[in-house]
Amino acid sequence: MLAQHSTVSLVRPCFLSGSQVVLKIIKHYQEEGQGSEVVQGVLLGLVVEDRLEITNCFPFPQHTEEDADFDEVQYQMEMMRSLRHVNIDHLHVGWYQSTFYGSFVSRALLDSQFSYQHAIEESVVLIYDPIKTAQGSLSLKAYRLTPKLMEICKEKDFSAEGLKKAAVGYENMFEEVPIVIKNSHLISVLLWELEEKSTVPSKHELLSLSSSSHLEKSLQMLMDRVDDMSQDIVKFNTFSRNTSKQQQQKHQYIQRRQQENTQRQSRGEPPLPEEDISKMFKPPQPPPRMDTLLIAGQINTYCQTVKEFTSQNLGKLFMAEALQGHNS
Amino acid sequence: MSRFFATGSDSESEESSSADEITPKATGTTLTKQALLLSDEEEDTKRLVRSAKDKRFEELTNLIKTIRNAMKIRDMSKCLEEFEQLCRAFLKSKTIVDKEGVPQFYIRLLADLEDYLNQLWEDKEGKKKMNKNNAKALSTLRQKIRKYNRDFESEIANYKEVDEESDSDDDDDEDWGSETVDSGSESEDNEGNSASLALEKPKMFAKGTEINTAVVVKKLHEILQARGKKGTDRAAQIDLLHALAAISNENNLGEGVSVKIKFNIIASLYDYNPNLAAFMKPEMWKKCLECINELLDILIDNSNIFIGENIAEDSENLAISDQPFRVRGCVLTLIERMDEEFVKIMQNTDPHSQEYVDNLKDEGRVCAIVDRLLQYLEAKGTTEEVCRVFLRRIMHTYYKFDYKAHRRSLGLQGESKSEQDQEESEGEDSAVIMDRLCKFIYAKDRTDRIRTCAILCHIYHHALHSRWYQARDLMLMSHLQDNIQHADPPVQILYNRTMVQLGICAFRQGMIKDAHNALLDIQSSGRAKELLGQGLLMRNMQERNAEQEKIEKRRQVPFHMHINLELLECVYLVSAMLLEIPYMAAHEFDARRRMISKQFHHQLRVGERQPLLGPPESMREHVVAASKAMKMGDWRTCHSFIINEKMNCKVWDLFPEAQRVREMLVRKIQEESLRTYLFTYSSVYDSISMETLADMFQLELPTVHSIISKMIINEELMASLDQPTQTVVMHRTEPTCLQNMALQLAEKLGGLMENNERVFDLKQGVYGGYFNRDQKGGYQQKQGYQRGTFSRI
Repeated sequence: MLAQHSTVSLVRPCFLSGSQVVLKIIKHYQEEGQGSEVVQGVLLGLVVEDRLEITNCFPFPQHTEEDADFDEVQYQMEMMRSLRHVNIDHLHVGWYQSTFYGSFVSRALLDSQFSYQHAIEESVVLIYDPIKTAQGSLSLKAYRLTPKLMEICKEKDFSAEGLKKAAVGYENMFEEVPIVIKNSHLISVLLWELEEKSTVPSKHELLSLSSSSHLEKSLQMLMDRVDDMSQDIVKFNTFSRNTSKQQQQKHQYIQRRQQENTQRQSRGEPPLPEEDISKMFKPPQPPPRMDTLLIAGQINTYCQTVKEFTSQNLGKLFMAEALQGHNS
Repeated sequence: MSRFFATGSDSESEESSSADEITPKATGTTLTKQALLLSDEEEDTKRLVRSAKDKRFEELTNLIKTIRNAMKIRDMSKCLEEFEQLCRAFLKSKTIVDKEGVPQFYIRLLADLEDYLNQLWEDKEGKKKMNKNNAKALSTLRQKIRKYNRDFESEIANYKEVDEESDSDDDDDEDWGSETVDSGSESEDNEGNSASLALEKPKMFAKGTEINTAVVVKKLHEILQARGKKGTDRAAQIDLLHALAAISNENNLGEGVSVKIKFNIIASLYDYNPNLAAFMKPEMWKKCLECINELLDILIDNSNIFIGENIAEDSENLAISDQPFRVRGCVLTLIERMDEEFVKIMQNTDPHSQEYVDNLKDEGRVCAIVDRLLQYLEAKGTTEEVCRVFLRRIMHTYYKFDYKAHRRSLGLQGESKSEQDQEESEGEDSAVIMDRLCKFIYAKDRTDRIRTCAILCHIYHHALHSRWYQARDLMLMSHLQDNIQHADPPVQILYNRTMVQLGICAFRQGMIKDAHNALLDIQSSGRAKELLGQGLLMRNMQERNAEQEKIEKRRQVPFHMHINLELLECVYLVSAMLLEIPYMAAHEFDARRRMISKQFHHQLRVGERQPLLGPPESMREHVVAASKAMKMGDWRTCHSFIINEKMNCKVWDLFPEAQRVREMLVRKIQEESLRTYLFTYSSVYDSISMETLADMFQLELPTVHSIISKMIINEELMASLDQPTQTVVMHRTEPTCLQNMALQLAEKLGGLMENNERVFDLKQGVYGGYFNRDQKGGYQQKQGYQRGTFSRI
């Protein structure tokens, strides 16, 4: 098999993956993913020197609500055992997920990546964007949680203070790992040969000038996130107002108590017993900040995508203009 | 007859056992039969073949004998046992009983046993002494016999009278009145066979008493004293009063007395049903109507009778004299009550039965009575009373469509109708009557409620007869919308009915927007049925207990006054469609688009969810299908969905002027389809000829012109009119979808910013103001911003 010769090498924290893995992921999406549905799977490989090499992968089976007793862990173990039997790398090094217009920064992703990284230190998550890929440029990104975020997740401290202390912002939640896709020489040769033979220019999607539908979709999703963000902020606002109000009340109460005590002292009476103030004034539950942070992160990715997309498109438009001028 | 029998019978007969209770020597038509069947004991030895009847009766008499013995020794358990056997035996001999009538001895036993038990029951001391079994048997037996005796009520009453009679004949002419009053008051705990008041029907007065007003009034009071007491037989009381009325008439005691008695008869007729929820039985109702009619006859014929609630009992003047009669009582209240009873009867009758129709025929009589009362009170009553009776009259008028007036206003077909119709149509238009009555109430009434009701009825009547502007103006002038929530539920129901009628009226007149607004409140709640008092919604019992349910049931409007709910919904949905579809087309990309009608959208969604779209069946499906056609600007399909055979017979034919409504509807559909078409497809046109449009939508050119001009003025359509070529030139300045999105995003981000600043405010305290100062306005002006910028380009 050709694919077995392809390797994925990893330089320092970066890594490369073989075309077999890429093709498998794409195939998985084509077969099972539709629209905004997301497909996931397991990456296999090994750490070589300072690289993480991903040499194989297999999909999580799609399971419906009916067979709820389907054991995913069992399936994975079974799968890996079978792979070992045929002498393929069977070390678990992460997972992959498809995305819909770049929406992947979510709580679920954070949680599962955390558990991966917690168990297997070198784990990565590969994000595959089928829509961009369909437009002509393969979009595959690898992410890891930053050590800071790992700390926070470990302590499960998602309060505002905790995040502030750890200095985690939406920019430094994830770190992107560079990818190098490396094929075996034989495959490269094959590819060259295929390119020679193919008659249809297969790259015309790249030059497509229509942009609005993609942009619309992105904007729509961006808007949804902004709405969420607004809501979160309003929530936070109410929270902080409540806290300050309560603080005031607490303060007043303490003062009154002190006054009374001094009066009593002057009359020679014993002071009033200390009551548990914290019991009387239960601080309101602070809204968790993690979700907000994730939303911010998601907005950031959307913005990146839109920016990237528009700049490309502008380029294309200029090209088209020049072409028109040339023709006429 | 029975009286005759009673005098003939022996006074000691009640002591003797049942077998020989009636001696053959008694004479009379009934007695011959009874004598035969009862005196079998001495004869049965001689007879070889006994009839089934004899056999059965012998069985019964034997059982009765044992019961009497048991009674004597106070053995209750034995009594109970035997009594049960007796009941069974009686049931067996049912066929014979049916043929022959209930045997006298049986009734006698039942009566005696009940009295005896009551007596024992009252005797607390004796009860204590009883052993447990006996006491238990006593209570069960007492309950049983009570229940059992209910079936034989009249017979027992009969028997008791006879009994009484034979008693009272012994004691000479005593002052009857005083004694019965006594016995009346203590009848419950007295000896069982002492008469309870209601039982002495046939004989009112002792022989030879001179019957005059005073005596009759006294007697009347006696009878009335029993009213409301537990043991009183209400039916008997009514009979008693009737008898009294007859006596007073016989003796020519004058109208005063008979009016007085009539009042009481009617009152006790109303009393007949112990609880408020039950309705009158038909025969009672008939009697009641007759009584009231008679009463009114007397009152109207004799102008020298004064009646009033405030006349004290002792200042009444009932005797015939030169002075006018004065009688306590209020005929208005009686008739109002009668009206309520009528409503109650209608509420409790199945509206789809023949019975309902029969009952409804009484509506005419009720109206006639109200009319007569109205005449009477107009002459005699105070303004308050007049107002009340006017309201009654209005209540019977407002919901009826005046077909005659309608026909007359059309000015045709008068001749072809039959004589009778001709005659009737001579009468006053209901509109004129309503106007007269309501105006009187507006001027004279001092209680708010009557005026409110009158206004609402007036509006309803106007609306029903398509006098939209009068109805609307009256509604607006009355300011009822503001304070109706303080009114009591029946008035609120009336208000809802009026609003609905107003909305339907507006629709008929083609005021779609008004129609929609008027119906919105009722329809959007989804509880139209309940709000109009036309039925209860199924709800779980937690929300409403049985008590509440009863109250709500009492508020229901009788079926013949119902407003057709399907018609209501259809009118609402169609008006919503005519408003919403063009609006939706105009604001297709607007994120801030609000719904005009939630319910309409709901129906649309339901329609979309359908996995398979067949041809529409129900009214809703028709409207949904029509809406879809309209969305495409296809007015012909829309028209065929809204107006077709099915819809005609379901909805449109219910209108009095169906044809006119349909024409209006077609016109509206054409206009709104045109608007929708322009909104939806303006982006694909550079210019479009108005003639083409007029042709497409079958509208006249000026109409098309005016519609388009309106759209341009309202900045709904970015276009201009080119006069010489009669075309509409599109400006194509509508923002594209993407631009719209970007604008929305900008707006949202603005909101986000603002919120963020507020957080900042809180932290910074005083500083916050600085950030807010110049930006507030910027975000607030967004509403105009969106369209404004683009239309100016």
